[in-house]
Amino acid sequence: MSERVWEVFRQEDEGDPMVHAGNVNAADEELAMHYAREFYGRRGESHRLWIVARDAITELDDPDLLKPPFDRSHKKPGGYIIKHKLEAAKARAVAEASE
Amino acid sequence: MTASLPELDLEAREALAELLLSVADDEFVIGFWDSEWTGIAPMLEEDVATSSIAQDEIGHAKALYELLAELTDDDPDRIAYGRDAPAFRHAALINHARGDWAFSVARRYLYETADRTRLAALAESSHEPLALLAGKMRREETYHLLHADAWRRRLAEAPGGTRSRFADALRRLWPDAQEVFAPLPREEILVREGMLPQSMDELHGAWQAEVRPVLEPLTGPLPEATPSAGGRERRTADFAWLHGEFTKVAGAEVGALW
Repeated sequence: MSERVWEVFRQEDEGDPMVHAGNVNAADEELAMHYAREFYGRRGESHRLWIVARDAITELDDPDLLKPPFDRSHKKPGGYIIKHKLEAAKARAVAEASE
Repeated sequence: MTASLPELDLEAREALAELLLSVADDEFVIGFWDSEWTGIAPMLEEDVATSSIAQDEIGHAKALYELLAELTDDDPDRIAYGRDAPAFRHAALINHARGDWAFSVARRYLYETADRTRLAALAESSHEPLALLAGKMRREETYHLLHADAWRRRLAEAPGGTRSRFADALRRLWPDAQEVFAPLPREEILVREGMLPQSMDELHGAWQAEVRPVLEPLTGPLPEATPSAGGRERRTADFAWLHGEFTKVAGAEVGALW
């Protein structure tokens, strides 16, 4: 049997993000499911697994697209200071709740 | 009606003990046979899967030996590791060495299907601790059967030599596979009390009706075969060897605490 690589993602609890766990080799989807279960779920550590054939994944790693050479700092949200606004909103919420 | 321990008379206790021992020994010994694949399975992923399933089976045996020990005022470790080979009561199917991969898959498929039939009955047992444990075991055995069945289909559909080797293994194991349903000593008490809701003979019929149509397209017509009275008492040289292996550490210092 020829083997394919399957990438496995796991979720620890309902609502948690799916996190890349690793990968398994398997001839087909059914065995990949069994192996993913053994490698990333047999100790009860996973609530859900996603098993994806690596060749079904669209990869983007072109630096021209992901790391363009110009300054990108204006695209980052760092300029907005909201700490004081958040504190004021919290204080308001507490005051309203105690009324 | 629930038959709790204090209400069981001596005869019923002895009958229940034979039932528990038969299931526990099946799980224990097949677990050790399949663990013989650790490190040499066809690929790394399968190695982990097979080893993990083997470990699950030994886990089921542990739970069953604990039930049995409670019933007979014994020690589960002594039952598992302190008996001589002839005292084991696993079915003749589980006497054979692991053989090649096709042989191990053939045995696991035959055993997992038979075990499912048996566990479905035990989950309805009037002996509540057994019914609860069988219910728990069924959840894990569902996965074991899926895994064995995935391999059955692959080997059955594989080209040439693989397919015929698998068919040969199934034909060779077929008579001994019936013995999972060998009549138990004092089985009539178990059935009368509802501890075993269906007789082994009835369970055997249900199992054959299920597996024959699956296997015969591959193996050709399988012979008429029925369980025999001594189906859980025959021991082989293969098993004597395995017994020596799995009792070696416990036997090195009897009574040692781990």
